[in-house]
Amino acid sequence: MDKKTAVYICTGCGIGDALDIEQLKENGTEDFTIAHCKDHSFLCGPEGLDVIKKDTEDEGINSIIIAACSQRVNYDVFNFGPDKIVERVNLREQVAWSQPPKEEDTQMLAEDNLRMGCAKVDKMELPEPFKAEEEYSKDILVVGGGISGMTAALDTAKAGYQVLLVEKEDRLGGFLGKMKKTIKLPYKELTETGAEEMIKAVMEDPKIKVYTSSTVEKISGGPGIFSVDIKSNGNSATEKVGAVVQATGWVPYDANKLGHLGYGQFKNVVTNVEMEEMAAAGKITRPSDGKDVKNALFIQCAGSREPEHLPYCSSVCCLVSLKQATYLKEQDPETVNYILYKDIRTVGQAEDFYRKAQEDGNIFIRGSVLGVGEAGDKLYVEAEDELLGENIKVEDLDLVVLAVGMVPMTKPETTPKIKAPADSEDADEDGMMEVQPDSGFFATSALNLEYRQGPELPTLKYGFPDSHFICFPYETRRTGIYAAGCVRRPMETARAMDDAVGAAMKAIQCSEATAIGMAVHPRAGDLSYPEINMQRCTQCKRCTEECPFGMFNEDEKANPLPNPTRCRRCGVCMGACPERIISFKNYSVGMIGNMLKAINVPEEDEEKPRVVALVCENDAYPALDMAGIKRMSWSPYIRIVPIRCLGSINLVWVADAMSRGIDGLILMGCRHGDDYQCHFIKGSELADTRLSKVSETLDRLALESDRVQFVEVGITDYDKIPGIIDEFMKKIDEVGPNPYKGW
Amino acid sequence: MRKNGNYDPSFAREVFENVDFGDEIKMCMQCGVCAASCPLSLQMDHPPRQIFTLIRAGKREEVLSSQAIMLCTSCYTCKVRCPRKIPVVDVMHGLANYALKNGFVPRKDTANFGGKFWDQVYRIGRIDEKDLPRRYFFAGGFVEGIKNTLSFSDIGIKMFLHKRMKLLPERKIKGIISLRKMLDKAEKMQERGGASV
Amino acid sequence: MSDIQTTNQAILVIGGGISGITAALEAAEAGYDVVLVEKNPYLGGRVAQLHQYFPKLCPPNCGLEINFRRMRQNPRVRFFTMAEVSSISGQEGEYDITVRLSPRYVNEKCTCCGKCAEVCEVEIDNPFNFGMDKTKTAYLPHEFAFPMRYVIDPSIACTEEGKKCQDACEYGAIDLDIKETTFDLKVGSIVWAAGWEPYDASQVEYYGFGEYKNVITNVMMERMASQNGPTGGKILRPSDGKEVKNVAFVQCAGSRDENYLAYCSGICCLASMKHATYLREQYPDCDVTIFFIDIRALDRLEDFYTKVQEDEKVTFIKSKIANITEDEETGDLLLEGENTRTGEQIRMSFDMVVLATGMVPNKINMDPLPDVLFDDYGFLIYDPEKAGIYGAGCVRRPTDVASSVQDATAASLKAIQSIARR
Repeated sequence: MDKKTAVYICTGCGIGDALDIEQLKENGTEDFTIAHCKDHSFLCGPEGLDVIKKDTEDEGINSIIIAACSQRVNYDVFNFGPDKIVERVNLREQVAWSQPPKEEDTQMLAEDNLRMGCAKVDKMELPEPFKAEEEYSKDILVVGGGISGMTAALDTAKAGYQVLLVEKEDRLGGFLGKMKKTIKLPYKELTETGAEEMIKAVMEDPKIKVYTSSTVEKISGGPGIFSVDIKSNGNSATEKVGAVVQATGWVPYDANKLGHLGYGQFKNVVTNVEMEEMAAAGKITRPSDGKDVKNALFIQCAGSREPEHLPYCSSVCCLVSLKQATYLKEQDPETVNYILYKDIRTVGQAEDFYRKAQEDGNIFIRGSVLGVGEAGDKLYVEAEDELLGENIKVEDLDLVVLAVGMVPMTKPETTPKIKAPADSEDADEDGMMEVQPDSGFFATSALNLEYRQGPELPTLKYGFPDSHFICFPYETRRTGIYAAGCVRRPMETARAMDDAVGAAMKAIQCSEATAIGMAVHPRAGDLSYPEINMQRCTQCKRCTEECPFGMFNEDEKANPLPNPTRCRRCGVCMGACPERIISFKNYSVGMIGNMLKAINVPEEDEEKPRVVALVCENDAYPALDMAGIKRMSWSPYIRIVPIRCLGSINLVWVADAMSRGIDGLILMGCRHGDDYQCHFIKGSELADTRLSKVSETLDRLALESDRVQFVEVGITDYDKIPGIIDEFMKKIDEVGPNPYKGW
Repeated sequence: MRKNGNYDPSFAREVFENVDFGDEIKMCMQCGVCAASCPLSLQMDHPPRQIFTLIRAGKREEVLSSQAIMLCTSCYTCKVRCPRKIPVVDVMHGLANYALKNGFVPRKDTANFGGKFWDQVYRIGRIDEKDLPRRYFFAGGFVEGIKNTLSFSDIGIKMFLHKRMKLLPERKIKGIISLRKMLDKAEKMQERGGASV
Repeated sequence: MSDIQTTNQAILVIGGGISGITAALEAAEAGYDVVLVEKNPYLGGRVAQLHQYFPKLCPPNCGLEINFRRMRQNPRVRFFTMAEVSSISGQEGEYDITVRLSPRYVNEKCTCCGKCAEVCEVEIDNPFNFGMDKTKTAYLPHEFAFPMRYVIDPSIACTEEGKKCQDACEYGAIDLDIKETTFDLKVGSIVWAAGWEPYDASQVEYYGFGEYKNVITNVMMERMASQNGPTGGKILRPSDGKEVKNVAFVQCAGSRDENYLAYCSGICCLASMKHATYLREQYPDCDVTIFFIDIRALDRLEDFYTKVQEDEKVTFIKSKIANITEDEETGDLLLEGENTRTGEQIRMSFDMVVLATGMVPNKINMDPLPDVLFDDYGFLIYDPEKAGIYGAGCVRRPTDVASSVQDATAASLKAIQSIARR
């Protein structure tokens, strides 16, 4: 692209009152030979925009620097088409509104901001979307043929897309097919499961290709160009798909671990799953002798909400037991059902079904079980009745049902081990270490991804491959692969169906976006992608290890093999690369480096320190804007550089800044740790780690490591911003000026 | 520390089937709002929620001999507030009736007072503020009667002074015969289980 | 007013809360044109009023910021604030929609410089903070408002005050002659994400909400804890602005109660536990008592329950509170209930009481009503026979943010199917 750059400075909103605009024009652009430099008192107004538009038409201006308000506002107004580069320089929120007007320091800040903008544009290119050589597919692979999988398949087909449905059993249906009845909105009565109709609908849908008795042997490639090897009954097939829905479901918690509740010891102690199968097969009877059930007791949270078994709540067991108590009442209204519970958790409108179960005369006992025993051919249960304040015994029981919880299919029976890195402290005597749940090597085999970072979706701590984000429940660490239904989190039938539709939506969206080279969430629509100058690669593996989304594979010589359709454009690889050979067209190590170099560093005797803040553009940057909107004020010596993610920070920037005489560097990023808020998973954590290693660099430069600091700044922390900055400035003051000034 | 008890579902069934409004107890979710709404709950051995727990557990003796079921003053706060719309007042009255019918006299004095009250209404059609306490106080013997009377003498004197109590005995109301007929009929209806509030 | 042109290939999303925003974006990012209609002057709905999300205790504005950025750079989503759908006619694949735009009196020239608010002297109860403080009649709804543009309250539109604001604007952004307008749209399908409103706590008259100053609701607690709330993020007693030392949470304040809301609102247990963490973070000595019937912390939210239980200053008592009375002198509140575990009568005094009120689905104010099904409580039921209009989020069931977003994502695919069927 032959760049023709122009600068437009807005003097409205107090900018003109705060700054000497003529001086800004001169000093802010001097090194960049930008001939076009105009100002306007109302740049976002129709006349101001006309000036710019006219220049683009008459003068061929195609790179536009808007020095005005924050990039967060007027984005639509300052959009001059996809063939123009637009860069925003913040003179309003972070200068005019937060600094005293007509001060020398304010003027210098504005000039530096403009210089950084010019430096950025100088290095920036228009992104060209990635296009794989292969043909893209928009077909969707659904793994698992239970309620979630079938729903995902049907709803994908209804939207006009082709589906491949792979089920390991010889018939579709999963747990739904084993149920007698189900309970769903409006939670008044039991309803038919509809399993047969659903299976038929899937089998007959011309858009759905069903593979039963089949497994996914391998998935390679990336979104849009996944290649899937399916093995069925000894045959194998290879298919192309655009995206994947994993709906591999759940298994009941192993009741053999609940021996204290009589399971395995007494025949008439069954799990809720066994109870359901018995009901679906016909009549519920005593497993020991086939006789009628007169008295039954349901033990809720059997193994659930217990640290030594399943610490979480499986959400559905309350409703399931109420449903099964209804079966018994339907069989014989005289049956006495006891429900021994911790809390009845029938949320939302499901409270109606709790009421119905009460109306049916079921007896609810709040408390905890102490033991299950047998007297004659009857069972008894001892419990602590919390509301009666007594230890009680319920005798004469024909059946005890253990309401066991859901374990995701992804959870391995024993924690897998991998070879520990040489310097690992966690290694056992064989040099092996346990895999953490958030690793791609943890989960039980289902997808067999040909990914360097492991064959399965990383999971949360209990083994559910669920999103870590509240606002983005389909967030996934393997682009284009979405978990749905009970494998994602424990949920009832109706919710699993809704969930599957949502996952199908995400899969369709991913294959559509990928086909035109666009990123998916959270940088949805981004057309840039990382390009690697392989000639200079040293096979250090940092990019392949650190990419939060497993974008890189590796060849046997440890060369990174990028799969750009897996990329989410965070720039973590760019930050990781010590050789600085990974860059985006509009975001690169050199570009930010040049911005840092564009900062004018006054001589030491001027006593005007310079500090650079590298800030996360999603959270910390808006917080700084908010502080400006609130007219808070902070040191004029700080230079704010928004970046995609702190994970994209390359340590060379620290060296760049320090060697130029910058006195300090502060990183403002998202909270990390268990409740991390980085939307690129580990960006801020990586930045913090890298920073701790930077002391080495600083030592080499004979500088104090106090000059760099990482702070967690959330988007609503704007009230803390001035304090954070002032404190850092104080520290820099104590450390003294950077000795490299003026070199 | 804890007593031990066995659950017995037969009493719950008995209550559901035989006690007026007894089957409403099924809906109780043990929130306790009835107990805390009750102006007399501190006087009760088992406030309504506990009564329902005991029924569920099958504690027949404890429930039917509980004085709580006789103490309800029909203020209706519990019934208005119950989130499951259980007519707690009616259940308590139902239980009281059922207890009496089954030979439980959960609170002798309460039952005694009720009996004397009823007798007097039946006899003269109104309450005699001197006669009713006299009969009630002396039900336990002469010495007891004198003690009881003395303990209420302050109130008695004040009532005289405020002309709330006459010196002469109350007369029968007009139409006492019709009233007795009505009461007889009501009693019969109650026996048939047809009456409800 | 609007030059917007749509076809029956477009999707209409009603409601610009987290569900509506999600439904709109998910469909747009899959390549469909979407029109979003929101009645407030800003997007974000109830979520924008929350301080933190449970269980991560992270700020909702973080996710909203990402969503707004998605929206900014996606030309397929067009949105209207201060807009309401006034009529829907037609059927799946060919709906005719009329949208009514209320006047904002501020046009697109607004630079958000704030000059109008500087000169404005007339104040109104701040709706964003449930009337706990005042806002100028020329105002930005809140700092993170999207779109970031001021609003002039209609009460000053035709007054000298309005004129004063207009004169103060250097950019000609205030136009007091703007009238209510309507415009028509054609769309193929509709996502109904009108959200919810908090249950009116004054209905439960024995809790004294509205009468006793120190009885507040859970949504008010969110505003109080927020930096941009009425107290700058400090949780203070409304009656005297004092710090709190002893706070009670009354669960099921109206919910699970056939006299009020017979259903369970699903989120209030976790919301109160979250509020307990707000209090405990601000006041290391504050005691918190949560009165409940059942604690309903589904799936791994149980971990959050476990975590809050570990705080020894937080006590859980199983009791539905039956009465609240105020000590007129101190403003303290006496709570009565029955501890159902011990059978003891509770009479406990607190500085402040938070009522955990439930969610009520927002009603459809339209004549005639569109052809959709509702349950007993006014929640929208998905009926495959009546495809074309799809509920998303809390209009379908009372639920938390994650489930709403999940539901809205599903609704967007349903809406796309309606178009694909054409």
